Amino acid sequence: MAIKSLLIVNRGEIAIRIARTCKKMGIETWGIKTSNEPRAHYLSHMDKIYDMSDEFSDVLVFLDVERLITIVEETGVDAVHPGYGFLSENAYFAQRCVIAGVKFIGPTPDAIHKMGNKTVARQIATKNNIPLASGTTHSIRDAEEAKEIADKIGYPVIIKAASGGGGRGMRIIHKAEELAQMFRLATNEAEKAFNDPSVFIEKYIQNPKHIEFQILADKFGNTIHLGERECSIQRKHQKLLEEAPSPALTEELRKTMGEIAIKISQAVKYESAGTVEFLLDQSNNFYFMEMNTRIQVEHPVTEFITGLDLIEQQIRIAQGEELKLKQEDVKLNGWAIECRINAEDVQAGFSPYLGTIEKMVQPTGDNIRVDSGIVEGDTISPNFDSMVAKLIVWGADRNEAIRETKKALAKFWIKGLKTTIPFFKIVLENESFRCGTFNTGFIENELESMHDTSEEEEALAAWFAALKYAEEREKEETNQVDFEQGKNINPWVLNKRLKSF
Amino acid sequence: MKLGWSSKKELKKLIAVNPGRKKFEFPLPFTDELKVNGKTSEITLKTDDKFGTYLLYKGKKFPVELLYKNQNRYEVLLNGVSYFFTIETPTSYKRMKFLSSKSDGNKNENLEAPMPGKIVELLTEEGREVRAGEPLLILEAMKMQNEIQAPISGKVKKIHVKTGQNVLKDDLMVEIHAGK
Amino acid sequence: MDTNGKLFRKFLEREEKINNQFSIENAKKQHSKGKLSAVERIELLFDKDTFEEIDAFVIPAPLTTSFGKITEAYGDGVIVGYGKVSGRLVFAYAQDFTVMGGSLGSVHAQKINKIQQMALKMGAPIVGLIDSGGARIQEGIASLAGYAMIFKHNVHASGVIPQISVIMGPAAGGAVYSPALTDFVFMTNKTSYMFVTGPNVVKEVLNEEVTNDELGGAEVHSKKSGVSQMMYEDEEHTIQGVRKLLTYIPSNNVVNPPVVLNPEETPDYNERLRDVVPDDPNKPYDVKEVINLLMDVDSFFEISENYAQNIVVGFGRLKGQTIGIVANQPKVLAGTIDINSSIKAARFIRFCDAFNIPILTLEDVPGFLPGVDQEHMGIIRHGAKMLYAYTEATVPKITVIMRKSYGGAYIVMNSKNIGGDFNYAWPTAEIAVMGPDGAVAVLYRRELESSEDPDALKKELIKTYRDEIANPYIADEKGYIDEVIDPAVTRKKLIVSFEALQNKHVARPAKKHGNIPL
Repeated sequence: MAIKSLLIVNRGEIAIRIARTCKKMGIETWGIKTSNEPRAHYLSHMDKIYDMSDEFSDVLVFLDVERLITIVEETGVDAVHPGYGFLSENAYFAQRCVIAGVKFIGPTPDAIHKMGNKTVARQIATKNNIPLASGTTHSIRDAEEAKEIADKIGYPVIIKAASGGGGRGMRIIHKAEELAQMFRLATNEAEKAFNDPSVFIEKYIQNPKHIEFQILADKFGNTIHLGERECSIQRKHQKLLEEAPSPALTEELRKTMGEIAIKISQAVKYESAGTVEFLLDQSNNFYFMEMNTRIQVEHPVTEFITGLDLIEQQIRIAQGEELKLKQEDVKLNGWAIECRINAEDVQAGFSPYLGTIEKMVQPTGDNIRVDSGIVEGDTISPNFDSMVAKLIVWGADRNEAIRETKKALAKFWIKGLKTTIPFFKIVLENESFRCGTFNTGFIENELESMHDTSEEEEALAAWFAALKYAEEREKEETNQVDFEQGKNINPWVLNKRLKSF
Repeated sequence: MKLGWSSKKELKKLIAVNPGRKKFEFPLPFTDELKVNGKTSEITLKTDDKFGTYLLYKGKKFPVELLYKNQNRYEVLLNGVSYFFTIETPTSYKRMKFLSSKSDGNKNENLEAPMPGKIVELLTEEGREVRAGEPLLILEAMKMQNEIQAPISGKVKKIHVKTGQNVLKDDLMVEIHAGK
Repeated sequence: MDTNGKLFRKFLEREEKINNQFSIENAKKQHSKGKLSAVERIELLFDKDTFEEIDAFVIPAPLTTSFGKITEAYGDGVIVGYGKVSGRLVFAYAQDFTVMGGSLGSVHAQKINKIQQMALKMGAPIVGLIDSGGARIQEGIASLAGYAMIFKHNVHASGVIPQISVIMGPAAGGAVYSPALTDFVFMTNKTSYMFVTGPNVVKEVLNEEVTNDELGGAEVHSKKSGVSQMMYEDEEHTIQGVRKLLTYIPSNNVVNPPVVLNPEETPDYNERLRDVVPDDPNKPYDVKEVINLLMDVDSFFEISENYAQNIVVGFGRLKGQTIGIVANQPKVLAGTIDINSSIKAARFIRFCDAFNIPILTLEDVPGFLPGVDQEHMGIIRHGAKMLYAYTEATVPKITVIMRKSYGGAYIVMNSKNIGGDFNYAWPTAEIAVMGPDGAVAVLYRRELESSEDPDALKKELIKTYRDEIANPYIADEKGYIDEVIDPAVTRKKLIVSFEALQNKHVARPAKKHGNIPL
């Protein structure tokens, strides 16, 4: 059944990204106007708007299943696209959509559930002989049990939230003494973030590479992969820069890992687009980490090198179409790099930087793509993530891609906010990044400074500060302080004022 | 009678000093020339509709803005990077050098919130001895619980925050007294 | 006149002598401590070539006992006179630490008294540049009497002319009470300190080791004790600060403050104001951002920036006119009122009232700071200071309720019924006896206890409370608020309203003076 109208249960750049494909496919889009950002830019890309900006609630609507289902019913859409984050990997929401008779753009609730619970996913992987880091396939009761297991598999170990993702509820333990406290922190965080305190333990692979495979699968069991993405430039498990393909993979390794990725997808009868994440250690051993059952933030790098529109693929699969593409048709062409330009203060440990974008000039070009949900005058508020834009650049090979990314970053002009741009400038200059040997320890081990500075730029800044100071002093010296006006008092008040003394 | 023994001195130059005590000197009245590594080039401050305010130097544009100013302390954001300076006159610069030469180092370390967030858990108490690197509290921010560690070894002098409290960046959280 | 004659030669000799006394060598003694000389300070304070010194040639009172000795120096260790600051008459005295440690002898004191009396007669501000070891021991009681006279004149001038003290070196013992009696105390970090009893006595009596700076340095007084309102890192910028403050305040209690127009105009309509205050009542924000959006560009001059930061006070300008601002600061202690913030605000309000400076109150206050500590220290008495000051003030008073406005704190923050001239509220305002959580807990305790789903019930009740009570519209309809306004037009509204109030006069019952709860 063809989808004619679609509700986008998301905001920001991904809402715009989805709307773009819908427009191309002739699908009517619905966006949701919230009280948090009633003037948000993404709304201008929607065909129709469901306005609930006069509703104030403690829970953001994009997380409120019941409210969303009423919106689905009221708007009468054929399908729902959850984007990433929010309810994109919530099996209950997917189930409710199915019950409400609309298509949920994504895998089946069952597949979401199986892959969403990391312990279940580990059990499935074990059953299918997928390589895994040693550890538990069940959730841990308490710190004592955690210690028992950790002692057995050897330190360092990592505690992860069973329902987790995106780095939350994750703690690395190097020594037995740290275990009790870290266990508590991880469960606390997991409980808060996912409403589920259960955690499991696995062997911590030191400084691996983070490699993920893009999967496409239809309802008929056809499953292919679109090559990998290299996502090792991370800070506290938050990806900052991604590229495709990975400089670390040989054709042979790509084939092996891709087949494993397909195998685990098929094990849960996966359909739609999905991502299988692996850790790759220094001896090229790889371990299944988790499967993300949604479209990824970094999907554009894969789109650039495959020429595919992944959102379109998701929608076609949801409509019940059969994948036209066979594995042997997938050709990876050139190299793509994505930089996540976030409003963060790199000098203050990447802390969110709240403020208003005064000016933004984006680089343009045939091989440059900027996905952004923000325009000049918009404010980065603490309500949402701090992403300003994604800059994706394509080159014929890795060197060209790096070179072109550097040029594009130099042209990316943002005023009013601190962003991660200076960070990317220094990453792209880094030797270990350039030769491709970097891993997830990159930021801690390879970068001496988190941002790019030059003596020249500091001198320019000093000149500017001194200029401002000189101007202010000048102004204070020459300011016309008009004392006469102060003496010019209306007799009405002056007489009474004098009398009252 | 008039105080005639000297007259108010003209300010001849300004000195921008960075936190590492590196100094940048600028003669007054202010010129549009900047000397870096012995070479002098022209520098101009411009504003237009497309780019906002920027510095034009050697044919290149540098986005610039004043992020913070208090008394003679300035924070400038140039090309996405923050630079901190105090602007000194020759007299105040001399004083600063003199006072720093005889200061006995910071005895107290003030631990300020590195980012806005919420205090989830306090792991220490007033009067307790702490080692550098020891976790003091958990600050929830950026979707993460962040462990805030003691920057120096010493004694926890005062805790300014409570569990559950929201803090903004640079809010004072814990004071640590170095040594005994 | 015969310029080579004997009479004129005598005049020139004296000139030369005094020039020698204030030689470069003399200034170097101060420089070697990181300080400036008294002469240099005077020069920095006044407009170029406008200072007129008086009593330059007086000599110290002769010694009447055999105890100690006296340095023979013109001026007795203090420069006094008058000049122009930003073109206006200002009186000043500057103590010279190089003459007997700036100690206060009877002649020294008489000079200060003279200038204090003159300032009061002319209705002009007076600035004291203080750098003194204290009373001159050799002169005994005469020196103490000198202090007493200075204090007396300080008190007489209080509320009549602005008095500013600038601490640029030691101020110890009784000497601290002159600054304490004046309107503003400036200090220079690391080279100035004030205390009643010095480290030596503290060591002797209590056996506690403490340095000058730890006991009474600029940081201590500007952050902890609140004795000093302004702290700067060096003397030059300290004096710049004094000059800046003077541009906001009038010469005396009869005239109005000076007007300083800024060619760079703040927009009268600014949508940014709609976003500054978060909808979530528990989210902090920086109220200084609101102030800067409302006032003329760069015109906000904060007073007591480092003390009791849960309330922000300072001067700003609206179309060139000085306004005193009192604002709750939600980012510190959620903007609650505690003892220190009440005292800080009360003193500022009284200064504004004494010197015809209109007051703008920006309100976002969840209440008084609760706690045993606060109650036992007397938050009742101290909180009353702010209430008293606001109610007593007869200058134009406008309040803008930005968000929370609960209970007693609502009343205190210049509410309509204690005399606010215009009280505005933003749509985000919540005006009620207490916050929703508290109100629901008090009135529906039993219902909540017996409910099957207390969370849902509570949510429902909170919603009802917000809809029916805790919003600005009820207050508006009942006249406790003059108007609910769009935050974007606040500046315009303030300019128009203050203009309408400029000839306000209120008659109070005749009295000797009120009895503010001290």
